[in-house]
Amino acid sequence: MITGFILRALEGKIVIAVGILLAVAIIVPALNLLTPPDSAFHIPTYVMALMGKYLCYALLALALDLVWGYCGILSLGHGAFFALGGYAMGMYLMRQIGSRGVYGNPDLPDFMVFLNWKELPWFWYGLDMFPFAMAMVLIVPGLLAFVFGWFAFRSRVNGVYLSIITQAMTYALMLAFFRNDMGFGGNNGLTDFKDILGFQVQAGGTRAVLFAMSAFMLALCLIVASAITRSKFGKVLVGVRDAESRVRFLGFRVENIKLFTFVVSAMFAGIAGALFVPQVGIINPGEFAPANSIEVVVWTAVGGRGTLIGPIIGAILVNAGKSFFTGAFPEFWLFALGGLFIAVTLFLPKGIVGTIQHGWNARKALKAAADAEKGRDAGAAPTVQQVQAAE
Amino acid sequence: MSFKAKLGGALLAAALSTTAFHGAFAADDTIKIGVLHSLSGTMAISETTLKDAMLMLVEEQNKKGGVLGKKLEAVVVDPASDWPLFAEKARQLISQDKVAAVFGCWTSSSRKSVLPVFEELNSILFYPVQYEGEESSRNIFYTGAAPNQQAIPAVDYLAETEGVERWVLAGTDYVYPQTTNKILKAYLMSKGVAEEDIMINYTPFGHSDWQTIVSDIKKFGSAGKKTAVVSTINGDANVPFYKELGNQGIKAEDIPVVAFSVGEEELAGLDTAPLVGHLAAWNYFQSVDAPVNAEFIKTWHAYTKNDKRVTNDPMEAAYIGFNAWVKAVEAAGTTETDAVLDSIIGVSVPNLSGGTSTVMPNHHITKPVLIGEIQADGQFEVVQETAAVVGDEWSDYLPDSKDLISDWRKPMECGNFNVATGKCGGKGS
Amino acid sequence: MTFRIFSGAFVAFLLFACAAFAQGTDPKPLFNQLADANFNAAEKLVAEIAATGNPRVVPALNAFSEGDLYFRKSDKAVFAAKAAGSQLELIDPVTGESAGQVAKSAVTKIKVNNNLRRAIRAALGGLTLMSPDRGARLSAADAILRAPSAEALELVEAALVKETDGEVKARMEEARAVSLLSSDRSVDEKRAAIETIAGLGASGLGVLNSVSGTIDPGLKPDLDAAIASIQNEQQLWNLAQNVWYGMSLGSVLLLAAIGLAITFGVMGIINMAHGEMVMLGAYSTFMVQQVIRENAPGLFDWSLAIALPVAFLVTGAVGFVIERGVIRFLYGRPLETLLATWGVSLILQQAIRTIFGPTNQEVGNPSWMSGSFPLGGMTITYNRMWIIVFSLTIFFALLFVMKKTAYGLNMRAVTQNRRMASSMGIRTPWVDALTFALGSGIAGIAGVALSQIDNVSPNLGQSYIIDSFMVVVFGGVGNLWGTLVGALSLGILNKFLEPSVGAVLGKILVLVLIILFIQKRPRGLFALKGRAVEA
Repeated sequence: MITGFILRALEGKIVIAVGILLAVAIIVPALNLLTPPDSAFHIPTYVMALMGKYLCYALLALALDLVWGYCGILSLGHGAFFALGGYAMGMYLMRQIGSRGVYGNPDLPDFMVFLNWKELPWFWYGLDMFPFAMAMVLIVPGLLAFVFGWFAFRSRVNGVYLSIITQAMTYALMLAFFRNDMGFGGNNGLTDFKDILGFQVQAGGTRAVLFAMSAFMLALCLIVASAITRSKFGKVLVGVRDAESRVRFLGFRVENIKLFTFVVSAMFAGIAGALFVPQVGIINPGEFAPANSIEVVVWTAVGGRGTLIGPIIGAILVNAGKSFFTGAFPEFWLFALGGLFIAVTLFLPKGIVGTIQHGWNARKALKAAADAEKGRDAGAAPTVQQVQAAE
Repeated sequence: MSFKAKLGGALLAAALSTTAFHGAFAADDTIKIGVLHSLSGTMAISETTLKDAMLMLVEEQNKKGGVLGKKLEAVVVDPASDWPLFAEKARQLISQDKVAAVFGCWTSSSRKSVLPVFEELNSILFYPVQYEGEESSRNIFYTGAAPNQQAIPAVDYLAETEGVERWVLAGTDYVYPQTTNKILKAYLMSKGVAEEDIMINYTPFGHSDWQTIVSDIKKFGSAGKKTAVVSTINGDANVPFYKELGNQGIKAEDIPVVAFSVGEEELAGLDTAPLVGHLAAWNYFQSVDAPVNAEFIKTWHAYTKNDKRVTNDPMEAAYIGFNAWVKAVEAAGTTETDAVLDSIIGVSVPNLSGGTSTVMPNHHITKPVLIGEIQADGQFEVVQETAAVVGDEWSDYLPDSKDLISDWRKPMECGNFNVATGKCGGKGS
Repeated sequence: MTFRIFSGAFVAFLLFACAAFAQGTDPKPLFNQLADANFNAAEKLVAEIAATGNPRVVPALNAFSEGDLYFRKSDKAVFAAKAAGSQLELIDPVTGESAGQVAKSAVTKIKVNNNLRRAIRAALGGLTLMSPDRGARLSAADAILRAPSAEALELVEAALVKETDGEVKARMEEARAVSLLSSDRSVDEKRAAIETIAGLGASGLGVLNSVSGTIDPGLKPDLDAAIASIQNEQQLWNLAQNVWYGMSLGSVLLLAAIGLAITFGVMGIINMAHGEMVMLGAYSTFMVQQVIRENAPGLFDWSLAIALPVAFLVTGAVGFVIERGVIRFLYGRPLETLLATWGVSLILQQAIRTIFGPTNQEVGNPSWMSGSFPLGGMTITYNRMWIIVFSLTIFFALLFVMKKTAYGLNMRAVTQNRRMASSMGIRTPWVDALTFALGSGIAGIAGVALSQIDNVSPNLGQSYIIDSFMVVVFGGVGNLWGTLVGALSLGILNKFLEPSVGAVLGKILVLVLIILFIQKRPRGLFALKGRAVEA
């Protein structure tokens, strides 16, 4: 059954995308480590770190696509799940510093020492163990999503209201994590990591592995997301998105369906955050900022929501653009980003991938009609066309 | 049109965008320095000025013939007030653009974010803003004030000159105020101030409704002892704070407020007439009467083509840092990091208040502390100036750091040497 | 207490001086000595100048306190000065006659600090207690009230005998009471003084507390009782104060949210650029004030009144352009309006940053917006009061437009059933554009008011956008009354939480409460009912 579940996921484009990701996971670190710096094929560490970051963002956008593109929940708080995953990883990395901190205190991270904390707060317990920390990366965002979703979906908060309260959630968390008394390092966040599983975080090999892990996890999550959306459950999901009341009247427990998807998506976001932190070397409350979550929505929209691959491409494109503009034309970066949002919503409502897919399907349908064959249904693949019209 | 092409193209674009573009400017007869200040986002309000100041300093240096016979070239990037982006941009400046040194950062978060990058890639950062101390990196020079170069002299002034006996420590809830207030509280209590005469209050970033807190301060001040407010309130929240103070009729003669984050630039957004007499402690004020300062202001006005632009303390810190670097590079004869790190310690350069500042072995500098009172024209009038003070990275008033010192000269080369145990590495274990 | 000791010494000296020199000494040489004096020496000189008892030194001392006292570099003669074009006009400190104009570089300012200003204030208090000007006497009494000293007692008592004005007399009685407390008068007199001070409320607390360590043991119970009574009274006033602060915060929220209540609440557009409309309104105010400052400084007190229509028109026009250019293509896709308007907001922010620079701009408070007045045991600041009045005015004006005008009728018709409205002959695109322009214009007006209490910077809008959405959603989308009730209740809730848990935690708690509240009432406080809800 599970094999069937996975096989169903591995259809056409997803196979190609997963293949590319796995290839990237091997080739990029190889080119970084094995080629001499002056070789034409050499990928500098800096570029690899950058690409690793994009892949984490891509995973975050994929997570959002799962709830927004397939379930109609526009979450403006996905950055919160991302950040929580990141904090779980960051706390593990902080504990790994041990007595190499500037004060040489074996138990307390530096920021606690100079704020005169005497002992480790309870919520830091256990995070020095890698398996426990990794479990927390999934559990903390998942639990928050579960509690939040359990309340919200049962009381049928939806549409704009849901978006606004997810925004309130991430905003409240941002304020909370900014507080120094919370024990998460306040606005400075967690930084100056030394090693992960005994390997130096800064070392070339560790970076390569982290990069490969990012690509690999993205591929894995893509398969899971694809399996979910292609299963029968996925069809119901799209039903919930397009006509929630009807699905409810058909006897489905809409709130449970939404809740499941929301929790899975939050866990994806948590994984993305956990991979992000060791690669960029810092996690702080700025990641909770509502503006960050809105940006994720934009990546998804640019790539094309409800396509799984679109958000990945959107996240990479927009962030590559950001890296370029903030270096080359710093003053114009916000004009470009703002213009992109407007242009995409006005001219590419389906996003890049959605538009291409739409054109592709239309041509295929045309061809099919012309050939007058028995006609494999062009609309079998999940499409987003109807959504906007339905609203 | 396959997805393979798309995805590959995207990744390629990502790689190229950052390498190709910056590579294009590379030329052998220039020395590049990086400018890492936010030009957008919430910190742009403070940092943009520093970017302009750096560009001006580079231009002036080039007029004098550059450094080591080569022209300087500033590479400006925008980390957009986003802390992880600071680390990314720092990495870009060092490993792609091959800059010789970087001048930048404002918040402690941004400095903490780039610190591992500078240590890993062995480059140099000059950090020009006052900060909470408790840090000393081999690769960072702290040209802004440490708490003992700002907070403690200010409190001394209030206690001695104005006879203050009751203290409100009000700050924005982040690490700089928290640490500074911890230090101040320990310092005041060591001077015999009772715990009930100290009130500590924290507010969120960008706090704009100060009614409750100002009236609390008023109440706290009605205990019959002379009261003062020590403000570590962060930039943006200051304007509404001072407006509320003025409106509730708290005059500087009754309850003076001494601020560590309010300079000429922040006052530019305020009608300062009701604030006359409130204080600030810095190492430089635009109103300082010194020929070198007059010259600096003239150059600044000419460079910005705006004779209303004010100068401020972080600009002076950037000025000192830049000149110290130039002098160290010329002494070392190269811009290579290790050589510069060796030659810069002990370098003395003029500061803008008429004296000289020396780079100390702990990577902090010596500067005088100036206490100024706000004037109706938005400037400060210096009411006290101390002799040059050495920046103290490890505070003597925090239990865990009082035994630590930093000395980056050989043979010690340690940022957290413990004088009690005689070992490098904090408390030791 | 450097100052108090000093001021005591000074007043003693003053009394002595009055008797001995009997207004005979020429204060002019004393002024001239200021040129070389440090702060401590200057304090003594001020005392000596005041001790001459010559009332003509008052303007010069005032000038000193304002920082307008200079000495001429050539001969170290001291003058008060006022700006005359690019030059300074020198005024003789004693005679008040003009001594000609000089370049600014020819003179040096005599520095003044808080201590000196306090000394000058006390000196002026002593000098002007018997001034013929009623206002001067009142502020003299105030000065003694603020800096009581046993030695000022006789001066006040002497002045009291001659005083005829009721209010000034009452103030002098209070000044006498506070001065008496630290003197060596009899216990009975002090007991009476304590009673008088107890009537002063909060401002008397400081005086009572300051003597509590040194007072006659026999008076201690009276003193403690007086302190306790003031504190009890204060507690009640605190409650009122919190409600007032809450209303004031609520009115700010209302102002920020009311435009959004139209664009988001009525039209259903998730207008993320709303905050930037507020910001544009604030920058319009700045521009208006700039023009006024340069061309007609006399009109400054009217600047806000002039800025209101300007801000309304500017932001209304920008809103109109946004609606025609972007939003009209997105009706029926509310979540996508979020993306497009977020883009608009980024562009507007950066545009303002490029034009005006990233730093704060100075927007001045007109005189009627500055200062405060006491109301019982609380202090009411004028700017907060006017903002409450102003926000309620806007609210009711808007309500009137929506409910009682033909345009409001059209607007409601279009938003409730677009096709039906269209078939009735309403030009729906036109109504859409005007409604969005109206919402934006109102946001601009709010910006005029907010410029008075907050930073005017490109980030201004960002700090209000989330709060505004919370208010509208909490109050109930599509219901103006909901916005009013929502804003005020959130404001008051916040201000009641703040003293006990602090500002940061208070704000977090309010957000959590809103999230929980939405679970209970998914459509807010005042939910719209009917078919429009599901559309």
